[in-house]
Amino acid sequence: MIELIEFIGSVSRFGFRVIVDSLRRPFEGAQIMRQVAEVGYRSLPLVIASGFALGTVMTLHTRNTLVTFGASSMIPTVQALAFFLEIGPLVAGLLLAGRVGSGIGAVLANMRATEQIDGIESLSIDSFKFLVVPRVAACVVALPLLTLFMDFSGLLGGFLSEFFSSHIAFHLYISRAFSNMSWSNFIAPTLKTAVFGFIIGVVSSFFGYTTNEGAQGVGKAATRSVVFSSLLIILADVILIKLIFFAFPENAL
Amino acid sequence: MKNRNLIVGLFVLAGLTLFTVGLFMIGNRHEAFSRHIEYYAEFTDLSGLTKGSKVQVAGMDAGQIIDIAIPPTPSSKFRVHIRINDTLHGLVRTDSVATIGTEGVVGNTFLLIHPGSPQASAASPGATLTSKEPTELADLLDQGKGVLTDVDVTVKNANGLLTSVGGNLNSTLTGVRSTVGNVNDVVVGIKEGRGPAGMLLRDPELTTQIRHVVSNTEQATANLNHASGQVDALVSNIQSRQLPQKIDDTLGSAKNAVSNLDATSLQLRQTIAEATAPDVQGVTAGANIRESLSNVNAATGNMADGSEALKHNFLLRGFFLHRGYYNLAHLSPDQYRKDRLFANPTNPREWLAGDQLFAVDANGIESLTVQGKKALDDAAMQFGDAILSTPLVIEGYSGSGDSAEQSARSESRALIVRAYLESRFHLNAGNLGAVSLRSSPPPNVDRSRWDGICIVVLKPARK
Amino acid sequence: MTSETSEIRPAVVFDNVSKAFGSKQILRDISFAVPAGRALCILGRSGTGKSVTLKLLMSLIKPDHGKIWVEGDEITRLNEAGLSKVRRKMGFLFQDAALFDSLTLYENLALPLHRLTTKSQDEIDATIDNVLSQVGLAGDKQKMPVSLSGGMRKRAGLARALVLEPRILLADEPSSGLDRITAAEIDELLIRQKTQHQTTVMVVTHDVHGARSVGDLFAVFDKGSLAAFGAAAEVEQSENETARRLISEY
Ligand SMILES: Nc1ncnc2c1ncn2[C@@H]1O[C@H](COP(=O)(O)OP(=O)(O)OP(=O)(O)O)[C@@H](O)[C@H]1O
Ligand SMILES: [Mg+2]
Repeated sequence: MIELIEFIGSVSRFGFRVIVDSLRRPFEGAQIMRQVAEVGYRSLPLVIASGFALGTVMTLHTRNTLVTFGASSMIPTVQALAFFLEIGPLVAGLLLAGRVGSGIGAVLANMRATEQIDGIESLSIDSFKFLVVPRVAACVVALPLLTLFMDFSGLLGGFLSEFFSSHIAFHLYISRAFSNMSWSNFIAPTLKTAVFGFIIGVVSSFFGYTTNEGAQGVGKAATRSVVFSSLLIILADVILIKLIFFAFPENAL
Repeated sequence: MKNRNLIVGLFVLAGLTLFTVGLFMIGNRHEAFSRHIEYYAEFTDLSGLTKGSKVQVAGMDAGQIIDIAIPPTPSSKFRVHIRINDTLHGLVRTDSVATIGTEGVVGNTFLLIHPGSPQASAASPGATLTSKEPTELADLLDQGKGVLTDVDVTVKNANGLLTSVGGNLNSTLTGVRSTVGNVNDVVVGIKEGRGPAGMLLRDPELTTQIRHVVSNTEQATANLNHASGQVDALVSNIQSRQLPQKIDDTLGSAKNAVSNLDATSLQLRQTIAEATAPDVQGVTAGANIRESLSNVNAATGNMADGSEALKHNFLLRGFFLHRGYYNLAHLSPDQYRKDRLFANPTNPREWLAGDQLFAVDANGIESLTVQGKKALDDAAMQFGDAILSTPLVIEGYSGSGDSAEQSARSESRALIVRAYLESRFHLNAGNLGAVSLRSSPPPNVDRSRWDGICIVVLKPARK
Repeated sequence: MTSETSEIRPAVVFDNVSKAFGSKQILRDISFAVPAGRALCILGRSGTGKSVTLKLLMSLIKPDHGKIWVEGDEITRLNEAGLSKVRRKMGFLFQDAALFDSLTLYENLALPLHRLTTKSQDEIDATIDNVLSQVGLAGDKQKMPVSLSGGMRKRAGLARALVLEPRILLADEPSSGLDRITAAEIDELLIRQKTQHQTTVMVVTHDVHGARSVGDLFAVFDKGSLAAFGAAAEVEQSENETARRLISEY
């Protein structure tokens, strides 16, 4: 129990240090670029493919139900709302926790194990600013963008699946998809994934950066990064949803 | 390094593009990027209208409600602040009326601005539009019920007159109850030559007695017509109130049913002419009967069509299902055995044995054999043209297994044959009944057990 | 504390430094001083804390007790900014080279040059070419660390330690895993650093022959303490048997 509290304390301090250091010069622009490419661009195929598949599957399922109620014209609306409000942000967060979290955990743990972090320090470079801050920043920046890719590819998957069942026109699908949407239930859920990105970045950097177990610590750090960041994302989601409802009460569904 | 910047740049740009696309997609609906114009409307009852509710102009999504000012006292009204797309400006006139509409029966409420007349000048921005208070759906249904009760009374009168004709009719008419749902049964009966009114046509002895009540019947017809007039009045009343489109549609279809009266009564008149023309005993009466009955038919046909249309209308469907309305396609065995019409021993019957018709496949499922189809064709031809115009009932029987198996098999047999005949001779599905009777035929027929099917023609007696 | 070799300012001073990992005492009251521009060779059996000593000097590990001076700065109480300045004077070859495995050999060397110097791209390229040819890796610039052999990695690590032209060069076993000829070349390189650039050199090594050609001073670690310290002749006369055996060439 005490260990748990200690753990929470050290992760929080780690996260706080990230925030403070990210505001301090020098800003590691090139490193951030590199990490955005790694976290964001390289995750695109995964995110787009899963979004597309999920969109297709979801439509197939909701279709049956909605047709039963004679509400088949609601399919695009339901699809879009589901994706933009929750599925896109949460699934993108969890996917990235898996792909990027394990990557960050393993890479940093490996750098620690092979003294590369010490190597950076020996070159008078602040390894925390050089390695951790850019990774967290990249996650924070990339996740909302990836969520958008998830949302729209989900919508496209939904459209194609619906097109093959009912030959709905693309225009009609899109106009229905956005018919019940307001800005706040598009912007708020998309931006909340920046928090997911922060969680992924901080938690996995924490496990990677602070490990001291040599080669076998690498695997452990990767696993822990994924487990803890996924868990925290889901917890944070609950709180964020409440917060968003609090901020935009008219959108509580 | 250059390459990486390119990749990141592409990624970020694509993401931001999606974000903007999303914003504009939503923005289109909210008209945030177009010019808009604002009006006001006042209501005592908002019916659930809220800030952000949609606003339609002439049925087109036009904008939203941006604010609702709550009145300080019950005597003043809610002041609704409306913002719509500037492009619809030309439709909003000084005589435009704002009403509150509902999407479907339980859907969102929205504000509907009806376009004004071209003669009126365009409403100036910030103007307060004339508004009409919403009529609750419940009120509307209450009114409808009131009219239906009126009709009910009229029909009761008509039935009373028929009852006074004599004991013979009396017993027949006990089945006639005075609900709108049952009016429908009467009419279906007339159309198919069965039921109390059908019996009228079939019993030549009654024709003379009928002649005595013709004038009374005419009176009743007038009442019925009056009732349908009331329906008309209700419809126009409802329309004049500019109710939401959906309800308009509902009642429009009711009105349509009423105006279809002519076609129906024509058809009925033809049927009646057919039924009465060869009736030698009632030559003089026949003329009277023909005329009066066509009036009765017209009035009741009107009711039937009206109630038929209402029955299929989603608003009132529950009401009719509740009344236990049934037709030939859904005969229950009990009802079938009891009903005099179906059990009439003079109904022509054609018995066909099961083994003659069906083959059983590996799964124990029966289907018609080639010989079976031939046998059915032959049997049907025995009845001649009658099968095309008169109602048929296919009785299914099965003698093997326990009663559940018998029931299932006899039902499937009846349905298979019904489906075959329907498609083979292009029969009207409404004229074709199927009933599963396990292994025992109804009373009054010359068989006590059967395994197979029996085609029964519910044929009006003709001499 | 001031040095006995008073004519030259000491570049590195250890004063009663102790370090333990958990309950395991690694270094016990280590004190010595290295004059600027001299070469110290650290000898000792495996696991006696030689690498730990270099890391303490780099401030990658903090000592439990004692003080460490680097060119007049007491590094155990410096903050990050001060430490960064001190580290800037030192080049460190890790025992396992610790090359950044996501960067090519060129980028490994370019990274510190880009970040810590104001050199132009051309100057940086020239510096890198020069350093790499000194360690014999001129043709391997674009290789990733994983595709280098153990000996090549070692030399690449040394090149990275040299690329900033440090005033103090710390090398953890620079010639281990190298053939005799290459090892001799590396030793010459270290000597050149010392004589031409007045670099203070601290080398941990198991190669006595090389050590004797490079070193002015020798420190022998035994069971966590400094068993002998001084010129080769002094160490040869040491009371400590391990010291005598380690310094002997045969
Ligand atoms: N980070 C650390 N955590 C715990 N123990 C350590 C750590 N670093 C070194 N040690 C221990 O300190 C002792 C000395 O290690 P050091 O690396 O200095 O040995 P060495 O003298 O360099 O040996 P070798 O010649 O084999 O390289 C070893 O027993 C090692 O287990
Ligand atoms: Mg060592």
